[in-house]
Amino acid sequence: MVNEAKLSSQSTSGSTYRAAEQSSPAVGVQDFSSAISMVLPLTCAVCFRLTRHTHTMDLSGFEADNSVSCRLASAVPDVCRTEDCCLGIDEAGRGPVLGPMVYGICFCPISKKDDLKDLKVADSKTLTEAEREALFLKLDEAKDFVGWALQILSPNTISTSMLRRVKYNLNALSHDAAIGLVQYALDCGVQLKEVFVDTVGPAEKYQEKLSQQFPGVEVTVRPKADSLFPIVSAASICAKVARDHAVKFWKFAENLGDVDSDYGSGYPNDPKTKSWLLKYLDPVFGYPQFVRFSWSTAQTLLESKAVTVHWDDDEEDGEKAASRQKCASVLSYFGRTKPSGSGREPHRFFSERKLQTLDTL
Amino acid sequence: MSSKKKRSPNTSNDMWVVVAADSAVAAPRPQDGDPVMVKLRSPSTGVASLYMFGSGNAQVYEVKAFNEDYHSWFIGQTVHRDGKLLYITPVDPLYLLLPYMIQAAKEGKFQPLHQMLIDEDFPACTRLLNCKQTETSIGHVAEEKEVGSQKFYRYSREKTMEWLKKKVDKTVTALKNAKISVGEGVKSTTYIRVKQECDGREEDYLRYAHGLISEYISEDLSKDLLKHLQLPEVTSPKKAEPPSKKRKVSDKPVEAEEDYTKFNSTDFARKPPKKMTAAQKSLAKVDKTGMKTMSAFFSPKAKTEKAEW
Amino acid sequence: MVQTGGIRGSEFCDDAGRKKPAVDSRMSSNASVITVQLGSFGQAEKPQVHLLPCEIEHDGPAEVSRYFTPAVKHCKNEMSVSFRGRGLRGAETSCPHGYSGLVLKEDHKPASDQEDRTVRISSVFHHFTYWNLETHPTSDDGVVMAMTWPALAQAIHGPVD
Repeated sequence: MVNEAKLSSQSTSGSTYRAAEQSSPAVGVQDFSSAISMVLPLTCAVCFRLTRHTHTMDLSGFEADNSVSCRLASAVPDVCRTEDCCLGIDEAGRGPVLGPMVYGICFCPISKKDDLKDLKVADSKTLTEAEREALFLKLDEAKDFVGWALQILSPNTISTSMLRRVKYNLNALSHDAAIGLVQYALDCGVQLKEVFVDTVGPAEKYQEKLSQQFPGVEVTVRPKADSLFPIVSAASICAKVARDHAVKFWKFAENLGDVDSDYGSGYPNDPKTKSWLLKYLDPVFGYPQFVRFSWSTAQTLLESKAVTVHWDDDEEDGEKAASRQKCASVLSYFGRTKPSGSGREPHRFFSERKLQTLDTL
Repeated sequence: MSSKKKRSPNTSNDMWVVVAADSAVAAPRPQDGDPVMVKLRSPSTGVASLYMFGSGNAQVYEVKAFNEDYHSWFIGQTVHRDGKLLYITPVDPLYLLLPYMIQAAKEGKFQPLHQMLIDEDFPACTRLLNCKQTETSIGHVAEEKEVGSQKFYRYSREKTMEWLKKKVDKTVTALKNAKISVGEGVKSTTYIRVKQECDGREEDYLRYAHGLISEYISEDLSKDLLKHLQLPEVTSPKKAEPPSKKRKVSDKPVEAEEDYTKFNSTDFARKPPKKMTAAQKSLAKVDKTGMKTMSAFFSPKAKTEKAEW
Repeated sequence: MVQTGGIRGSEFCDDAGRKKPAVDSRMSSNASVITVQLGSFGQAEKPQVHLLPCEIEHDGPAEVSRYFTPAVKHCKNEMSVSFRGRGLRGAETSCPHGYSGLVLKEDHKPASDQEDRTVRISSVFHHFTYWNLETHPTSDDGVVMAMTWPALAQAIHGPVD
């Protein structure tokens, strides 16, 4: 696949943004949220470029390793460190079976709310891709009072989190990403007073959670907040532009050669998405990391068309399975190896190492 | 997630991933032929177990499997479902010979080794005669007499105990070198690190090493060895066995020693001697548990190894 | 497979019940020999080998170098990758000194367990990568612990003075 972002890197225009890339464990036993707050001193440039008619966002910080979670951010306007600010949060790409989910924040001084309105930012869903790109450029031009940051949750992060031994569901994942971004703004010295959040889930609980997390900040969680508050619309534009860009220029970690990039919307009911999923199904590996394995669409296809894979925690909660597994393996070990008629059990050196004698190859 | 599929049995395996001693797959001379895997009696349990003889039967190996549930292999550009990892490690042939020698010793005779090694259920056992280590170390477990060009042997308990003690000592050293946790009551590997400081007790090492050696000897020998090492027997709660009566006498000859050829080996394998001396009777009486195992060991079966050699 | 007391119990009963015929058939197969053809050593492949923490119900081709190997990430002594959407952490492990990894392949399955068999050495390797499901590789991992066996076997089975 041709990476347009890379090829056109000389034709950069506009401002250069600071990006704080962070390595978060794609997998693991650590809590994801703690990893989110751990920002490595790795920075990379995020820039705007004009490519034909569209403005695209350079996601090279994410593309360097699109299997993990990555944070990209603009510079923080000086005024945001001295004046009371509002901040909007929105997400893009929650539903699709393909590509990353992007969390975006946008912030500006409360006193500049009208200036933001004048930029005519609107709910990203009501805009065309080109309109979103244009608005993103406008936001960039307003960099003296508007700042933004993104958390890109790679599909691999989503899969491995949701399918973890100790399940980490999408809601928790989203909340932690949002909290991580707000914390990031605070850590940068943004004088946060108001936070507006768009949500699909129950608003009250989420609002309570965020209010507790950030005392002294007035938190408003509201369904369709992206059409009600311009700062949320701005955040949704940032998130959507990043998500579209990441999907369009997806750099496959796998060695797949030229991949048909006609993924469709990525929503399971889109025929294009469906046929892409069928075309790229591998009987052993299933899919490239671009696909969210934790989506039922992917799971159903794999169950019917790929070879069956069994894990030691299948069908059970992680902890329960782990202890059962330990117990069962010891039992089955003795059950298998104890020769009939002999009461001798193998020495624990062997049982602990799961070494058993064989009577045939 | 919807319903998970049940695991189907893996019945058609035709590949094995193995970690093998380099000597096991070395062919020093082409005329010695390829290594072979055969079944032999496990010296501790008496059941058929898989062993391997290197080229020319020069060395015998055992085959163990690391078998953790839910594992598979990628080998190059293939997937191999069976996640076992086999280990092919050298075995001291004396362990495998001992049950036969002890059985033969019940006759009290010195016998050529090949006469003791008759086991129609496991014809491959005669390959043990070719092992280099058999020749060089048989003296550790038997008294030897040479008549003309032929060598005759008789199992010696004293020698065997000394030999096993040396084995235990070597194993203790290896356990220490490998930093293997030997403390009592360590059941789960997760405790090992915590327990490690408490280890170090010499008795724990001895007991652990004794346990490992016991994997290769009969239960009776294992108990004798425990005594020989002056380790008190640990009574396991589930077995309320009466304390086994150990024979106090040494392995002094129980019958006229010089008659090496009295017993035809096939007769010996198939039927008990017609007449028992008083000493033999007393021996049979005290050694009941051993006898029982042994008679199971040597149940006659007409079968010969098909391999030509 | 879930082991319940009932299943296990009945398996034991089965074993006891079938004891006689089982012993007979086993006895008859005790004489068969499996020859390990060394002639195949020279042509053996030297593939990359991975031990996965899951059972894949499949024997046969897999596009490992397309889907798996390029996605493996190295960080210090640890590696990470995902398989079927599950996070794996792995480490390289080597065969003990004096030992080699072999893959034995049986090209013709015998019709009965009394027939002699032949296997050839289809692959040779000296190290492989083992993968844990999500947990960091440590010296307590089963396969690492099992690798201590050859050194112990040497002590138990080597000649004494």
